[in-house]
Amino acid sequence: MANEAKRWSCEEFEKALPELFENAKGGKLSADPQFADILRDCPQAAELVRDLEYIAETARLLLEPEGDSPSSDLWQKIERELGSEPDTPVQ
Amino acid sequence: MEVQGYGMTQTKSTPPAGHFKRNPPIAGEADALERAKNGDPDAFSKLYALHKRRVYTLCLRMLGNVSEAEDMTQEAFLHLYRKLGSFRGESAFSTWLHRLTVNLVLMHLRKKGLQLVSLEETINPSEEDAPKRDFGSRDPRLSGSVERVALERAVSTLPPGYRLVFVLHDVEGYEHNEIAGMLECSTGNSKSQLHKARLKLREILRQNEQTAALQEAK
Repeated sequence: MANEAKRWSCEEFEKALPELFENAKGGKLSADPQFADILRDCPQAAELVRDLEYIAETARLLLEPEGDSPSSDLWQKIERELGSEPDTPVQ
Repeated sequence: MEVQGYGMTQTKSTPPAGHFKRNPPIAGEADALERAKNGDPDAFSKLYALHKRRVYTLCLRMLGNVSEAEDMTQEAFLHLYRKLGSFRGESAFSTWLHRLTVNLVLMHLRKKGLQLVSLEETINPSEEDAPKRDFGSRDPRLSGSVERVALERAVSTLPPGYRLVFVLHDVEGYEHNEIAGMLECSTGNSKSQLHKARLKLREILRQNEQTAALQEAK
């Protein structure tokens, strides 16, 4: 028997989003055909999904830092601390 | 301080493939690593130069405080120096270094006052910090041109618990089961916190866009 797609109310769908996002391939709920109907029928949920996917995608760009850097004297502090360490890294 | 009990030795688990994809080797890193393992101070200095910004930014995002972030960056590199010999190359070096850093920051947070209560109980922010439930209402959606600077700023204003889970999952790429292990909470809690964090960010970003639009209209 073919799998019957679950029929969601808009509210049920929004409440289930944390789990649905986790299970969605690549975190892309909007690309999953099983949610096409609910996303068409609930414009608010569709916008929410679109925004949350967008936030998650943009967050990946944050991995490479752009602006922040430790102060220029931090390495000197680390070197001073290393001066009191045993000679070489543990092998 | 001992961080090996927090998953730093590379004998049991391998990180998800995504960590390799997101942390490709950096030019000159492998050579510096080998030399640093043999006690070459210049090579360790090179490792610091290659990774200081990402380690510092990770600390800053998790802690939300410049001074503490610097202290933890220093701590992370001191730990790196001591533990470098246990790195076997089974994951990308930066993945390993980031995990070491995350563990140190979490230990620091626990020492600061979270040690007696599990993070699961303490990372939940107060009601006023929580995202608004807006079932049934229509709000303007994000313009689709949110810049990383705007997102970075919004992330920095998140309540600490939301921020931790968001940074670990959406920025650093950890899975919920890994985060649950790190934060000593359930995977369900990690998922829920992440969702609330994203909702809160959406709220902050939409407010910012509306404010900017109003200012432009004046």
